[in-house]
Amino acid sequence: MGTPKAALEWHGSTLLRRICGLVERSVDGPVVVVRAAGQALPELPASIEVVEDAREGRGPLQGLAAGLAALSGRARAVYVSSTDVPLLHPAFVRRVVGALTGEVDVVLPLAGGFPHPLSAAYRTSLLALVERLVAADRLRPAFLFEECRVTRLDEAALLADPALAGFDPALDSVLNLNEPGDYEAARARPSPEVTVQLFGPLRRAGKRLPLALRAATLAEAAEAAGIVLDEHVVAALNGDQITRDPDLPLATGDTIAFLAADAGG
Amino acid sequence: MEGTLAPGGYFGRALVVDVADGSADVLPLPEDVLRAYIGGVGLGTWLMHHLAPPGVDPLAPEAPLAFVFSPLVGTPLTTSAKFAVVAKSPLTGMLNDALASSHFAIAGKLTGNDAIVVHGQCPRPSALLVDSDGARLEDADDLWGLPAAEAEERLRERLGKGWRIAAIGPAGEQLVRYATISHDGRHAGRGGLGAVLGAKGLKAVAVRAGTKVAPADPPAVLAAARDLRARSFGPATAKYRELGTLANLLAFNAIGTLPTRNFQAATFEGAPQLAAEDLAELKGVARNSCASCSIGCEHIYAGAGGKKVRVEYENVFALGPLCGISDPDAVLAASGRCDELGLDTISAGGTIAWAMECVERGLIEAPWLRFGDADALLRALEEIGAREGLGDLLAEGSRRAAELVGGDAGEFAAQVKGLELPGYEPRTLQAMALGLAVNTRGADHNRSGAYEADLSGAHDRLNGGASHALAAVVTEDRAAVMDSMILCKFLRGIFEEPFPEWARLLSSVTGWDLTGEELAQTARRIVLAKRLYNLREGWSRADDWLPERFLSEPLEVASGRAAALTAERLTTMIDSYYEARDLDPEGVPDAAQLTDLRLDSLVT
Repeated sequence: MGTPKAALEWHGSTLLRRICGLVERSVDGPVVVVRAAGQALPELPASIEVVEDAREGRGPLQGLAAGLAALSGRARAVYVSSTDVPLLHPAFVRRVVGALTGEVDVVLPLAGGFPHPLSAAYRTSLLALVERLVAADRLRPAFLFEECRVTRLDEAALLADPALAGFDPALDSVLNLNEPGDYEAARARPSPEVTVQLFGPLRRAGKRLPLALRAATLAEAAEAAGIVLDEHVVAALNGDQITRDPDLPLATGDTIAFLAADAGG
Repeated sequence: MEGTLAPGGYFGRALVVDVADGSADVLPLPEDVLRAYIGGVGLGTWLMHHLAPPGVDPLAPEAPLAFVFSPLVGTPLTTSAKFAVVAKSPLTGMLNDALASSHFAIAGKLTGNDAIVVHGQCPRPSALLVDSDGARLEDADDLWGLPAAEAEERLRERLGKGWRIAAIGPAGEQLVRYATISHDGRHAGRGGLGAVLGAKGLKAVAVRAGTKVAPADPPAVLAAARDLRARSFGPATAKYRELGTLANLLAFNAIGTLPTRNFQAATFEGAPQLAAEDLAELKGVARNSCASCSIGCEHIYAGAGGKKVRVEYENVFALGPLCGISDPDAVLAASGRCDELGLDTISAGGTIAWAMECVERGLIEAPWLRFGDADALLRALEEIGAREGLGDLLAEGSRRAAELVGGDAGEFAAQVKGLELPGYEPRTLQAMALGLAVNTRGADHNRSGAYEADLSGAHDRLNGGASHALAAVVTEDRAAVMDSMILCKFLRGIFEEPFPEWARLLSSVTGWDLTGEELAQTARRIVLAKRLYNLREGWSRADDWLPERFLSEPLEVASGRAAALTAERLTTMIDSYYEARDLDPEGVPDAAQLTDLRLDSLVT
């Protein structure tokens, strides 16, 4: 790629920032980034935790162990994502995590003819097993799946979720970038379709509402709506968190409400 | 009379009037007291500590009520023409202060007093007249029963244009526990101060300027006024200028913070019909300012029949979504009727919405009172204003009414310390939930602006914690100083370093060498002085709490995320708030803190 995947530019932000933001939106616990020892990472929000692999070059189970260890005691389950899936949709994360019911240790998506262990959900209670496999040099995820209860979701099962079927019918959420051409092709795609609402004095600019436009980040949405994203403006994403973060990643179907920062009174 | 011994901007005295006979005493206000409490709400709190008998019935003759001015009144500083009314609340039984504004503040201060305190009871309906010659009573039999605005107009016609008048409406006369005091269409609205005046037989207080007061450094004040005025035209106040506070409504609906049908929901399907963004075009007829204000936040709409009504978010929220009503003409009519009767719209709407739910649950036998029924809302307001029929119960406010109704009626009475909640949903604004719970005035958005923290994006508004407690402290402290100087809170967004900037403003007026640090300490002193007053009147930690509905009935925001505020979470935030304020686990300051903030004289 020429540039570490985590730092690849994505609509004025980075791939890692995008993935962290999308996962953070989709779960109700902390988000942990696992990096190689000393690996430089692009800027991340303060809410994102960073831990390091105990040893380099040991594959995905080593990273999984580090992540599970960081979250052990704080979460019963985790969603694991690679950093190179820029078309990930929150509905995909919710579909996968939502399938992690009582008798299941792993939810493993099967799409495009492949399993996607780096787009999957895991019980944190698997930590000891994962560490044992790593210690035994059994480093492929398949070894883990042999020893725990796995629910495999094929494309039909994934798309049985109406939200996912609506927002990501081609399951681009698992489309990863292995070659420069993959990145260029993904980057050339149109930004997600989102809806923008303007309130108070922002709406008085004569805009027809709501605005349907394309934007991959909050900054892009503001610019497309003619809003200056300064200290006098905040945004609410899907009626949830209030934010001013221009790098906040957006996904198809999002609704962004821009309102005066001086709300209240 | 021009107060040569007092600091700039002050007269150094309060006039204490016994309205039983109109006699008045001068209470000297030493400079150290003025510097420690500034004016407005702060000085009013000090006055209540010294003049209100412990345990006094708020509606008893001996309960004092103070109109308190501030050092900035009369200066050209924008939004400074404000006054505080302070008394023990008949709604909460605790300290209550409410602000109003415009010419009464200027004329009242230029009677030569930093505060005018009334106690006693008139032998017959009266108006109190105060000017530089002192105080006297005037018969007001002919004004009794009139709306406040009409009484104000008639009395001014009788006395002359130099007089400025604050008056009560019929609700104050009837001792409705959330009656207001009005001046020029603005209201000292919360906590039932109109009932305190009504209990004294005072229909109105009239003031006339008769002296002058100079700031310590007139050129500096003028320069500051020019700067403040220029900044007041900027983007931080655009919302207030362009649409007024009603601009909140549609935005709050979008983020799930618009209380609906007695807080059973946080979004309202009829919100677009009540939105300022459209109504301003359809019904807006004028925009007004208080005296000495360059913002001009008052947006006047024409209701049915062309009747002009001043529109605020709180009026519309409380008489609209909270009661399930989406017809803008109906909401404007109800708001206008509250103004005429002299009713706090928040408490009126809150109490009626509670009663509507009681009817749904079979706890109150009043089948006519249904969510969404505008005629029922207007009927309820009439009955409250006259204390007739169901109105006699509802005039008590939702807490007392719920106690009388019994059963589980208290669990969904949306009040804290007896004061009905404003239009901020605590489950989706959890810093505000804390602010509502711990505020000394009760559920209030003006003394605790913790919603600012929720809406800043700085932390998770659906997941309250320790950081929310710090935010609540910061907004309370800032409010304490703004309400004591007094400057309008709609200016708050223009100050980058509030305490140092306010210290410079106050120094130019008073001549003191104030610093931001001293003013921050003053803020803490005022907040704790209020808490100490409540403590004296029987407050306990249990009063810093929210009704059960908010702790056991989660909401869901548009993203699908649950907004749950549990008792455990609220306890954690309250503990953190007490810790941040150096209070003990029961919410009480220790002796060292009292000494440090020079509050010990209030408790001995």
